[in-house]
Amino acid sequence: MMAEMTVERPVDAATTAAGDGRRTTDEALRCEGLSVAYGEKQALAPCDMTFAPSTVTALIGPSGCGKSTFLRCLNLMNREIANCHVGGHIWFHGQDALAPGCDVYDLRRCIGMVFQQPNPFPLSIYDNVAYGPRRHRRLSRAQLDEIVERSLRRVGLFDEVKDELKKSGLALSGGQQQRLCIARTLAVDPEVLLMDEPTSALDPISTKMVEGLMRDLARDHTVIVVTHNMQQAERVSNRTAFFYLGELVEVGPTKELFSHPRERRTQDYLSGRFS
Amino acid sequence: MTGVCAAFVVALVLSLIVLVASHGLATFTVDGVSFASFVTGTVWNPHASDASGAPYMGALPMICGSFVVTVLSCAMVLPIAIGCAIFVVEIAPRFGERVFRPITEMLAGIPSVVFGLIGLTVLVPVVRGFAGGTGFGILSGSLVLACMVFPTVVALINDAIAAVPRSYREGSYGLGCTRWQTVLHVVLPSAMPGIMTAIVLGMARAFGEALAVQMVIGNAAQMPTSLFTPAATLTSVLTTSMGNEAMGTVYNDALWSLALILLVMSLVFILIVRLIGRAGKVRGNA
Ligand SMILES: Nc1ncnc2c1ncn2[C@@H]1O[C@H](COP(=O)(O)OP(=O)(O)OP(=O)(O)O)[C@@H](O)[C@H]1O
Ligand SMILES: [Mg+2]
Repeated sequence: MMAEMTVERPVDAATTAAGDGRRTTDEALRCEGLSVAYGEKQALAPCDMTFAPSTVTALIGPSGCGKSTFLRCLNLMNREIANCHVGGHIWFHGQDALAPGCDVYDLRRCIGMVFQQPNPFPLSIYDNVAYGPRRHRRLSRAQLDEIVERSLRRVGLFDEVKDELKKSGLALSGGQQQRLCIARTLAVDPEVLLMDEPTSALDPISTKMVEGLMRDLARDHTVIVVTHNMQQAERVSNRTAFFYLGELVEVGPTKELFSHPRERRTQDYLSGRFS
Repeated sequence: MTGVCAAFVVALVLSLIVLVASHGLATFTVDGVSFASFVTGTVWNPHASDASGAPYMGALPMICGSFVVTVLSCAMVLPIAIGCAIFVVEIAPRFGERVFRPITEMLAGIPSVVFGLIGLTVLVPVVRGFAGGTGFGILSGSLVLACMVFPTVVALINDAIAAVPRSYREGSYGLGCTRWQTVLHVVLPSAMPGIMTAIVLGMARAFGEALAVQMVIGNAAQMPTSLFTPAATLTSVLTTSMGNEAMGTVYNDALWSLALILLVMSLVFILIVRLIGRAGKVRGNA
């Protein structure tokens, strides 16, 4: 069944390993025949994609084409949605995240998520960042302080808030809140960062900062970002994947995909012939 | 026209307060009982006078009784209500919508006399069975009150927990936290102002409830020393005695004073709810 489908499925050029699930050096995360249905309705046709370490991959496509659905599979956030069925495999560190025995909580710690709307908890800035580490490990005050400072520095927020760490995270501006949320995710030290339109609620200056941050994070993280902003995809990503009507149409190096799209549908979308 | 209606209601409420206050204060202004002895005295027998001629008017047993049953009943309700609300909102929303909510609404609709009757015929014998004595007392009163305030409290806590934005929960799940960690460290703290409001409103209801308590508490105006000996609350003394004492007598004035204490307390509860609401808002925006 799967083998037949492979023929129609767009095959990601970076997909190297044969289905043995072993992680090769140029692969941080790989999905194989990943499909999603909400109840009876198929939201994502089976697709393959490989994400290399230390790269930014942009997911683009018109509204409702299944980008968020795809992204939310990767750290099993879809498990929290009733009647959402996920099929296929997600290979991470040689293990199938979709296999029954896989620990979703461990997986989500390694594959962090940043949401479209900044969603700091109604806690202090410090407690927001310390939230994850506190839940997972027993840490001394000094260790926590260190993690909080390091995470906030990484997103360039520390100098802005260092005198008011006790202040509510909700008191920050939208852009600061989003960076706080990124810091909160970094505090649990993930390898992969999933970002669902992280800048769509931000002004241009904050957007610039978050984009710079994505590039910076890609030095030692695998970043996967959904965006509606083509320029943003071109600016930040190494590879781009185009989704259309619940299907992965094409994926390739960003420059190539934008200059010489292989598929007709990609061409049409990029030239704005449908939205 | 509508303004007249509103003005009428405002005037009505204000005149009610003035009425209770004027009667209630007569004890101190006309009958010469000192306020301090009224709220600290432990002997309640306004028909009799002590050696100096002042009537025995110590309301402390009833004040204590009221506070004890209120606090006890709410202390029993709070953990159960929070547990129920978490289950219904976070774990089994279908069950909540179809079964739990209708059932608690039914509970809220049961008249207090019925609660009193059930307390009298079921609860009091059970308490008598395991604690000895008459079975009437603080414990029976608190249990009956707990059943009565439960639906209000659980509905409000439900709303408070359901109002916590989905995005907070997602944020926590996204960090690899379990459902239980999420509830404990994100949902409950975020819902705290609502939970406080719920419990204060529950206390206000318990404090003011008269009939059911009066039926099971034993109505002995003595300082509560044990959960199982008969006691009295402000409300129970009012309902048992008001009909028997003629207007204008010292005893009648004393009862009005008890009513005044009740009224002031309920205003205090409303004030607390207001303050919690405002504190919640400040925290949300700032
Ligand atoms: N919880 C859900 N239950 C049922 N259907 C859903 C659910 N979430 C998404 N869908 C459906 O799945 C499809 C893909 O949705 P998805 O949110 O992944 O789109 P998207 O590409 O992220 O769009 P956008 O760019 O607007 O965010 C849509 O048709 C949507 O209606
Ligand atoms: Mg989306």
